[in-house]
Amino acid sequence: MNRRTVASRRGRNPFDPFRVREPTPDRTLRLPPRSPVDDRLLIARVQAGDASAERALYDAHVDRVYRLVYRIAGDPDQAQDYTQETFIRAFSGLADFRGEAALATWICSIAVSVALNGLRRGKRLRAREVALDEAATAAAAVRVAEPDLRDRLARAIDDLPEGYRVVFLMHDVEGYTHEEIGRTLGVQPGTSKAQLSRARAKLRRTLADFARG
Amino acid sequence: MILDDDEPLGPELREAARAYHEPGPVPREDLWTRIQMRRESERRAVAPGRRSIGRPVRVLAWSAGIAAVLAIGVGIGRMSNRGPAVRGVTAPVASALAPAAPAGGSPREDAAYRLAAAEHLGQAEAFLTLFRASVREGRQEALASATARQLLATNRLLLDSPAGSDTRLRFLLQDLELVLAQIAQLAPERRGEDLKLITDGMEQDGMLVRLRAAVPAGTGMTFRQGAL
Repeated sequence: MNRRTVASRRGRNPFDPFRVREPTPDRTLRLPPRSPVDDRLLIARVQAGDASAERALYDAHVDRVYRLVYRIAGDPDQAQDYTQETFIRAFSGLADFRGEAALATWICSIAVSVALNGLRRGKRLRAREVALDEAATAAAAVRVAEPDLRDRLARAIDDLPEGYRVVFLMHDVEGYTHEEIGRTLGVQPGTSKAQLSRARAKLRRTLADFARG
Repeated sequence: MILDDDEPLGPELREAARAYHEPGPVPREDLWTRIQMRRESERRAVAPGRRSIGRPVRVLAWSAGIAAVLAIGVGIGRMSNRGPAVRGVTAPVASALAPAAPAGGSPREDAAYRLAAAEHLGQAEAFLTLFRASVREGRQEALASATARQLLATNRLLLDSPAGSDTRLRFLLQDLELVLAQIAQLAPERRGEDLKLITDGMEQDGMLVRLRAAVPAGTGMTFRQGAL
């Protein structure tokens, strides 16, 4: 392969180790920079029964919660169920919120927990149906043309271990920092970094033939 | 190809990753309404001396969980009890509730299955009665879909159990599965039309009448009170 070919392929190869590093994507959805004082005031108002404060708390966090649980679940009905459950738990558990983390982080940690538990329950129920569908799916797979990158990547992300998948989605897709992920998931930022690295490595391995193509 | 662990994904992959489970617009108002209804339902359930649909539905949710555990227990018992019966082991409670052992499993297994089925059908009957009343009064019961899903899970376990050889019970469970699946999949935006279709279908099938006929009088509630 001559130098020119390498250069032209390098431009479109997502696995190229020599490519120019681009800024981390989409940081607009990061946890909002609310001060602890704002949070405390809002919580006090909610606890005092102020309906407008409840709505304000909901408005401030619903987009992020919904996006996060949707990314994890991939289904609008489940995302709505999990978002609803998250806010129900958040409102009823506000008295237990000790302010060690930002309110947004605390709510996101509830959302992740609700979504993952919901998915685990769903998986257990669906497990028996998978066996029945397997033959049909396998037959269909033979007929399907080579899937495009999005489909391949989506399947690869689905196959990631749960912890890797959540960290990957939060960091590389939703733009959370490792510190935010660590606080949300209750792990050290270093653990989040390690899981992200492993997730990326696994995705690269899974999509290696695409990289060569 | 070995890459630096911290190397971010390339632009093409990042773009593809952003399309993974990409959320549409957030249904803010719908969600807020659901949250408010659920909280109101819970508040009413806690408030003493007030009639509320919230508490029965909550109790049903718990009961559905307990029934699921029961049904799983039946399944496990069926799987692990292939050998001859252990001497001296009897099932006094279960056998008292089994009017006639259907063909297929041992009397003990059939009795356990019947107990689990009776409990489940009792809960389904109570749930559908509340659901129908709720629809008639024009209330939007936020927990209906969730409770239906839990009952559906138990229903499927019972349908799948090798101990369930009673054809009439099987037909009833299959029809019940259809109704529960419809409620479980209620779409918020089409709730009005769907609710009418579901309740009309229930009337046509005589679902509540069949459920009441299938549940031995007092069986479900007695057990539920004991369990809870």
